[in-house]
Amino acid sequence: MKIKRALVSVVDDDESMRESLPDLLKELGYSVRAFSSAEEFLASDCVAETRSLILDIAMPGMTGPDLQHELTLRGHEIPIIFITALTDETVRTRLLEQGAVECLFKPFSDTALFEALNIAFRVH
Amino acid sequence: MNAEPQICHEAADCSGSSERRVGLLPPHHREPRGSAALEDRAATRVGFGIAEVNAMVGGLIRQGRPLAVVLAALCQLFDASVKGCSSSVLLLDRTGARVRDAGGSGLPASYMKQLAIPAAAPGLRLHEVSPILSLTGEPLGIFAVYQRDSNPDLRRCHSALIAQFTYVASAAIERMRGDEALKRSAALLERTQQLSSTCCFSWRPETDEISWSKELCQLFELDATDVPLTLELIGARIHSEDLASFHEMIERARNGANDFEFEHRIRLPDNSVKYLRVVAHQTRDQEGQLEYIGAVQDVTHRRHTEETLAKLRAELARAARVTSLGVLTATIAHEVNQPLAGIVTNAGTCRRMLAVDPPDVEGARETARRMIRDAERASEVIKRLRTLFCKKGTACESLDLNEATREVIALSLSELERNKVLVRTEFAGELPPAQGDQVQLQQVILNLLLNASDAMSGVDDRPRQLVIRTERDGEDRVRLSVRDIGIGFEPQGAERLFDAFYTTKSGGMGIGLWVSRSIVESHKGRLWAAPNEGPGATFSFSIPCGPRDITTSLTGARNFGVIRTSAGKNAEERHERSL
Repeated sequence: MKIKRALVSVVDDDESMRESLPDLLKELGYSVRAFSSAEEFLASDCVAETRSLILDIAMPGMTGPDLQHELTLRGHEIPIIFITALTDETVRTRLLEQGAVECLFKPFSDTALFEALNIAFRVH
Repeated sequence: MNAEPQICHEAADCSGSSERRVGLLPPHHREPRGSAALEDRAATRVGFGIAEVNAMVGGLIRQGRPLAVVLAALCQLFDASVKGCSSSVLLLDRTGARVRDAGGSGLPASYMKQLAIPAAAPGLRLHEVSPILSLTGEPLGIFAVYQRDSNPDLRRCHSALIAQFTYVASAAIERMRGDEALKRSAALLERTQQLSSTCCFSWRPETDEISWSKELCQLFELDATDVPLTLELIGARIHSEDLASFHEMIERARNGANDFEFEHRIRLPDNSVKYLRVVAHQTRDQEGQLEYIGAVQDVTHRRHTEETLAKLRAELARAARVTSLGVLTATIAHEVNQPLAGIVTNAGTCRRMLAVDPPDVEGARETARRMIRDAERASEVIKRLRTLFCKKGTACESLDLNEATREVIALSLSELERNKVLVRTEFAGELPPAQGDQVQLQQVILNLLLNASDAMSGVDDRPRQLVIRTERDGEDRVRLSVRDIGIGFEPQGAERLFDAFYTTKSGGMGIGLWVSRSIVESHKGRLWAAPNEGPGATFSFSIPCGPRDITTSLTGARNFGVIRTSAGKNAEERHERSL
């Protein structure tokens, strides 16, 4: 019997991230779904199933932190790993305080992502 | 009640403060009305002349007695001179509509209360009424003489005496009113001086006689009660940095310069500094001597406000510059980080795909394709950024490089002032118009100026001098150089200066020179840097000048030769500005 892999969802408006991250995550042993916006993710049937969320901060429309807030309101406790192209330590600190597992600055290494995912799955 | 009781019992009306000081014109200033013969006879008869009356009244005035007291004394004197007579002075107020009692001791209270000219009262008969007139014939009041009981001698000569007394009364009233007006005017002046923080002075260059208002002495904190004011005394207060221009101004004034106006600082004994603004008007006195009448205004508060404002403006400009550069840097970083993230992620995936057994070659090939695509995207971002600054380069207009540079200097003055930078311009005369986008080129000039200023920020052992020079560069180009005496750079590092994100400044973003070079190159020009022989560096750019017709070309060629051989002497302007 095939063991069902844990679902990691990627939400990023940048296409190269939506292309490259799923391949890497599959290599790391996860099942992956990618979305180009927070709204698209919320409208999908993956929200309840998602075990970890890799979430871009700055996106047109609903931002990463907006989505985090919305998920909390809806009662979904999904561990979130934020990713961002803007290097800003104060933003990172604030996000970690608000419960994010990690906040990675682009470009980040596969090991950094792997470690963050390990924490996400260990904690939750 | 300030009037003396024995002289004037009911003179309360006229003992008000405005009438206390009474002056009297000297006798030679006016001729008494009435015939000289009668006057002599009267004087002989009563045993004293007009001079004595004048002396008595003048004495009272000098003692500072109120007009009522003086006039009452005058009446008393008259009454004593002529037996059986009582006299009275009724004053007309300024509007001329009302008379009021101003003196007359020998008359009953009931008379005084009537405040009119009664023809008769119990036991009194009006003998003569003499109008008191000013020199210009304006009615001031009335001198009235009443006869008590019957006096057979009265009719004979008292008209002359009455005329004398009327004259003295008119002189006293007029002098008093003049004094009052003067006093009011002085009080007004004093109040105005206080309100506008202004003091006044007069100065006679020939004798160096100086008269100052009390307020000016207070402003300078000089005690001029014991020693006369001298220019030396004043000069000792002038701020050392303003002393030269102060003496220069004095010299100009001595040579009969017209009205002058200038600002300087003074340093007070407690080391505090005040900013003063002096305005003086040239005039000649009665003897034709040169005299300056002037006003000094304390503008310290205004100057401090202006300085604070300038500082705030400079800070705002700097903040705006840093903010726009900061935003720009963040945008660049964001745009470049996105494809970089793709590359790194793909590389990680690729490595993992190749590490498994059997390796996923097809998957690895796909990640490699994406890596190349993302790398091209990153390179595209950089290209786009460069063209962003050169977009308007095609907007070609004729511009005066000297004028464009002057504008930039004016704009950056406060910033340069803050850094205590001394700017010297060496602008070539008859510079042909350059071709390009003025605003973009001004950005380059501003960048070079501020860089030079920043490079000198740590220099304290020599003046922070910055030289901006314009000149022709060959036949068809104009050149601008900015020379500083700052930290400079290693000769081999000259090219790195223009790399994006290369900076030697702690707060620098490292894109200023890179963008500047992009702009200059879009103008088909060249931007370069060279270390100075002494300390510091010189940054220059050279851009083509406009298409010229034959005439311009020939003139230009001639000028070029001249400027090249003796650039310094032929420079259009060579001025230095202390900042």
